[in-house]
Amino acid sequence: MKALEFDDVAVNLGGRTVWHGATFSIESGSIAAVLGSNGAGKSTLLKVVLGLIEPSHGSLRVLGEAPRRGNPRVGYMAQSRRADSLGSITARDYVGLGLDGPRLGWRRQADKSRVVAEALSLTGTTAYADQPLATLSGGQRQRVALAHATVFRPELLLLDEPLAGLDLAAQAEIVDLINLIRTSTGASVLVVAHDLNPLSPIVQGVLWIARRQVRCGTPDEVVNAEVLSDLYGHPIEIFTTAHGRRVIVGLEEELAHPHPHGHQHELDAPGEHHDDEPAHSHHLEEAYDEQTRSTT
Amino acid sequence: MSFWQLLSTSFVQNAFWAVTVVALAGGAVGYFVVLRRQAFAAHAVGHIGFAGAAGAVLLGLSPIFGLLVFCLGAGLVIGAAGAELDDRDAVVGVTLTAALGLGVLFISLYRGYANATYSILFGQILGVSSSDLRLVALLSVLVGLAVSVVFRPLLFASVDAQSAAARGLSVRAMSLVFMSLLAVTTAVAVQVVGVLLVFSLLVAPAAAAEVLTSRPLDALIGSMGLALLSGWVGLFLAVGVGGPVSFWITALASLAYLLARLRAGALARRARQPA
Repeated sequence: MKALEFDDVAVNLGGRTVWHGATFSIESGSIAAVLGSNGAGKSTLLKVVLGLIEPSHGSLRVLGEAPRRGNPRVGYMAQSRRADSLGSITARDYVGLGLDGPRLGWRRQADKSRVVAEALSLTGTTAYADQPLATLSGGQRQRVALAHATVFRPELLLLDEPLAGLDLAAQAEIVDLINLIRTSTGASVLVVAHDLNPLSPIVQGVLWIARRQVRCGTPDEVVNAEVLSDLYGHPIEIFTTAHGRRVIVGLEEELAHPHPHGHQHELDAPGEHHDDEPAHSHHLEEAYDEQTRSTT
Repeated sequence: MSFWQLLSTSFVQNAFWAVTVVALAGGAVGYFVVLRRQAFAAHAVGHIGFAGAAGAVLLGLSPIFGLLVFCLGAGLVIGAAGAELDDRDAVVGVTLTAALGLGVLFISLYRGYANATYSILFGQILGVSSSDLRLVALLSVLVGLAVSVVFRPLLFASVDAQSAAARGLSVRAMSLVFMSLLAVTTAVAVQVVGVLLVFSLLVAPAAAAEVLTSRPLDALIGSMGLALLSGWVGLFLAVGVGGPVSFWITALASLAYLLARLRAGALARRARQPA
């Protein structure tokens, strides 16, 4: 069974086509990154899978069934917002809401304490489980959010920018945790990100959304000069560093957005040709280092 | 009449039971008012209720019917229009102003308004009749039951609307449920503390409880307990010492919030100091 199957799916929002002709499938038990510039429709894709947005054309299967709101087999982690009322409750209570929050009534799930404790333990958040979320660091909050999204054991996990706003060390920790969740629960994972670089050790597939089109394949199949040049309609070059990272040149206009943390020191590796790039060019790369990390 | 004789009179007895049920309902709904950062909506619903109460008085009805109709109407408008809007404040503000204007019109049409207006604005707890009390008690119990049934989903939608929606909860429906509960609670709380001081039961105890604990159930129970304590002690002081009941309740609830903040501040300072 495929985790996801899209057949010629198009989405309209407010009379505008977000993307169309999306035909791809995601293997069960794999991790795929969803990439593309701001406003390309990455979060929209997650909402289509969640059944919150109806496609205007085509059909899709989620874990073999039609998408429906509140499917208990699908978990979702929204982009984090720092200033909200979530901060006033404890991590343990937030994870508990992930388990039985949607249910009305007085009755509490019999094994709730144990299941919540397991989710906290799996995500390494037990130590600060009884602190209000507002007192946690960004990385700790993301770990708790992952526990919240996985506590009911979904078979498909949709993560919207879990790495946004984190420093490189915290990003690497979250990437490891996503992989741990995949291996220990067997869930398929779709991760929306701005940068493939930190995710490349764990992803098997890439969905790239640009100019209202969606391309899917292995990282090698999608993140190459031919496919991206065709997708964006103008020449795009990809330089591979000595460490196997890929630097994409030619997306300055499409990807010109503030990036929380650049990877400047990595780009200064030998073989780089970005000295003549605009000052913000370190914001623009999507790098890829499968060779270096997949062997470890 | 001595203090103890006063306590056994029927109007003080009625007041005691009214304060009890209203404080429990107000404390429970108040927790969600504070959690959802909707104090302005709570404020507005109370003032909109004023127009309803003035209209009811004009028609020769008990103010609580006007309060219920106007509070519920306003609650549903605010809940429906503002569930997913960022300009929720504007929706609340416009609804509030329109209703207050109506209230002014009703009062100007009503002759001999002074007493009725005063009791709507500042509460009339010692004038609660037995029939009023029955209605107030019934509504408060219904609010309490409803809060206990929707507690988990309402909490979920209040702290993380996006995740709740992804899990199939209707955030809009939860917003409407919450505003309806707030509307009914406001209508009954106005009987005790009046339109102007409705915050003393709806916001102050809940805000204090939220400062004291991060466990939602503890905060809910704490909020109800603090509201009850403010209500009982306030009534006791008004009978024993004198002064309006609503003044005492407001003063005590505000004091509880102040003490909770001072305690949290002291704890935070201690936590920062090296051991």
